[in-house]
Amino acid sequence: MIRHYLTAINAENIKEWKIEMSYLPDFIRSFIEPIVYVLPFVLYGIALVGGRNSPNLARLVGSGDIITYVVLGYIVMGFLNTACWGMGWSLRKEQWYGTIETIFAAPVPRWVYIAGMATHSTLHQGGMIGIQVIVIHLLFRIFFHTSGILPSLLLIGLMLIALYGMGMMVAALALIFKEGWIVSEILHSIISVVTPIAYPLSVLPVFLREIAKFMPTTYGVLGIRHFLMGERVFFTIPEAVFKLLLFGFVWVGFGITIFLLIDRKVRRDGTLGHY
Amino acid sequence: MVAIEVEGLRKTFKKGKVVAVDGVSLTIEKGELFGLLGPNGAGKTTLIKCLSTLLIPDGGRIRIFGHDVLKESLKVRRLIGLVTGGERTLYWKLSVFDNLRYFAALYGLYGRKARRRIEEMIEVMDLVEKRDERVERLSTGMRQKVALARALLHDPELLLLDEPTLGLDPQFSRVIRRFIKEELQKKLKKTILLTTHYMEEADELCDRIGFMSQGKIAACATPEELKEKIPHERLLEIKMAGLPDESLIRNIPGVEDVLMIVDNNRTVLRIQSPDPEGILATVLERLRKECRIIGFGLTTPTLEDVFIFLTGEELR
Amino acid sequence: MIIVYEELRKTVKIWLTYPLVLVFWTIFPIMWVIPFIFQGKAFVGALSSQAFADLTGTGQYIPFVIIGAVVSTYMFSALYGIGNAFREESYWGTLEYLIGSPASKGFILLGKALSEGIFSTFFALSQLLFAIFLFGVKITLTKILPILLIMSFLLLALYGLGIGLAGLTLLIKESRGIIHSLDDILYLFSPIRYPVEVNPITKFVSLFIPLTYALIAIRGILLLNKPFHLLITEMVALLLLDIGFLFFGFYTFNTLERKVRQTGTIGHH
Repeated sequence: MIRHYLTAINAENIKEWKIEMSYLPDFIRSFIEPIVYVLPFVLYGIALVGGRNSPNLARLVGSGDIITYVVLGYIVMGFLNTACWGMGWSLRKEQWYGTIETIFAAPVPRWVYIAGMATHSTLHQGGMIGIQVIVIHLLFRIFFHTSGILPSLLLIGLMLIALYGMGMMVAALALIFKEGWIVSEILHSIISVVTPIAYPLSVLPVFLREIAKFMPTTYGVLGIRHFLMGERVFFTIPEAVFKLLLFGFVWVGFGITIFLLIDRKVRRDGTLGHY
Repeated sequence: MVAIEVEGLRKTFKKGKVVAVDGVSLTIEKGELFGLLGPNGAGKTTLIKCLSTLLIPDGGRIRIFGHDVLKESLKVRRLIGLVTGGERTLYWKLSVFDNLRYFAALYGLYGRKARRRIEEMIEVMDLVEKRDERVERLSTGMRQKVALARALLHDPELLLLDEPTLGLDPQFSRVIRRFIKEELQKKLKKTILLTTHYMEEADELCDRIGFMSQGKIAACATPEELKEKIPHERLLEIKMAGLPDESLIRNIPGVEDVLMIVDNNRTVLRIQSPDPEGILATVLERLRKECRIIGFGLTTPTLEDVFIFLTGEELR
Repeated sequence: MIIVYEELRKTVKIWLTYPLVLVFWTIFPIMWVIPFIFQGKAFVGALSSQAFADLTGTGQYIPFVIIGAVVSTYMFSALYGIGNAFREESYWGTLEYLIGSPASKGFILLGKALSEGIFSTFFALSQLLFAIFLFGVKITLTKILPILLIMSFLLLALYGLGIGLAGLTLLIKESRGIIHSLDDILYLFSPIRYPVEVNPITKFVSLFIPLTYALIAIRGILLLNKPFHLLITEMVALLLLDIGFLFFGFYTFNTLERKVRQTGTIGHH
């Protein structure tokens, strides 16, 4: 049974790679885009302080290297794309292909597809981030403590649990909303605004600061910058681990619930194959 | 052994406003080739989707080889091979082999066993030359073969074929039909439920046929039994160019029912009467005023005649 | 004129069936600048930056990015509205009828451009209201007229780009990916979100992008209180780019439209 499901997850992942590679220009673009996307944020920082060192940032967080600071923030946020787009759009894509009914008629539980798309999307995003880091490093040089890499990966892993929960919710919502991209855009925009991607929590107005404390991405971004460049954070690491596990639990539960409800709804209304 | 057992199945859409399946009960034995015949919108596809766990019914019960489709949906899915209508049920950007490999994994086949089974299916379906071709480059008929191969990968007991020859050219349709009858039913002993709105297909293939009309099963029997439902052994058939006024024929004394098939500018009238020879002269006389008669003669009733006789609806 | 009007009416009606999309374009472009504002606060520690002023003439980075966001609404309209328009028609299945109709494609595009212009102006104005309300941005009425003039110059060039893109999507049957990349590229190479002068490469490339001149001119009026006659250089550059972009747009569109008619691939998805 387990072997069957693992094979199915792997098959889902491989299938997605193959389909993506068949649209070669898009595939290549997916690796270049994150670099183009993050550059304005870096250049804006440089324009603001007239170099790469900000005394004010150093005073706030303990390190003034704005380039590393911004890049690390946006790298972590890249995984938000996994939830909002990669995973969130996978079932919708099957609707477009026309294959969704055929795959849903196969004898595997729905969570197997979700796990398959999560795997693929995380690997793809990981690859994009890898290339992003290399290029930005070649352009500007990023400085970080190598000893922080392992604990950072652990935090990213924990943060991903909650993001997968979100991804499940988006994947299900995209099945029933004609303009499903709006759901992804809104979720992405809101989380991007309240997560301290390129600034510490202390510059946010009080109410946003409180909302930010409920975002898994907040602990991801700040925790990783803490490990990699010594950012002072408002929580202890065990606290961050606990919070990420808690958010993960809540979001996955929520995602599964929404997913099952919508799955039931489309099977009642007969709209599964529609798009 | 009973393969499919449907009891009082009901499925509505749009908050009950559209009744797609209206209290259908049906039993299909293991090894049987059963055809659901009906026009578009009769509820055939909805019924197939309920059987394959893709739709949740509003009421009634379905058992596949004794398993409840709602409570044991994973078990049921393992027993079913599904071919739905429409061309886009495969990944067009993947090759034939890659498509089958992916679906094999979903059905619990992997490693050497999967590979062997896929190659076997590719051979059975005569797709060897197209093995590494992307599905988007195949013809409609070829795609249908791939879809059939996919449905057979896990060697299911039951095949649900929703309009398996829809949109195929006549030659390919024949190939697929022969495969269904000879290979799937006779050789592999599969239970098959197929839907169609081609009466020749149902007549040629099926052991038993269910007439579906407006969500209900209007009749269910072997093709021969169904044809016997028409009271007369012979029908009067007249072919002509042009479009006659049907009522002119209907009110001739002795005419019981008229089926009119129009194809381009050609019309075929099939007239039921206890005395076909006796009414022939009057019929021809009335038709001659409006159309050019091409030919006439006596024939035996087809399933389409029976369908119209029983449901009052035409198949196409 | 009737074609333009009917195209306008149709687009407006379709827009109104997606209320969520309307709300989205009203609010979110402004939301996207919020991270820039906090980033400024964290890096500078004040509302004005000397380094920023050395590059742009004004140290006030908040109004700088807000103006960028409002003006970028027109960029979205050109890319998503016009560039994507034919892709959408093809998705609805109505493209073949549109291309096959005896109406001049130019007028159809003009109708689309006009309705897009109206909607984006509505979006831009509501974003501005948000900005005034949220961030206390100040605007004097006398500045509105020259800004509208600059905007209309900008629109010509952007819609030229959109029309070219619409032609391209007829050929390659895909638009979202390209549009996404294009807006990322425009974000990088024009001073929407940051002063491109900070890097020699971005500064050079930005010279060929109409958004650069429009943004310099609009910010000049709003933030530096420059009188209009001092912005002649920017206006002339914008006008030249208008001509270039419109010519390029229509040329590309016509060439590619003819090509798909020859190869018979209009209705394909």
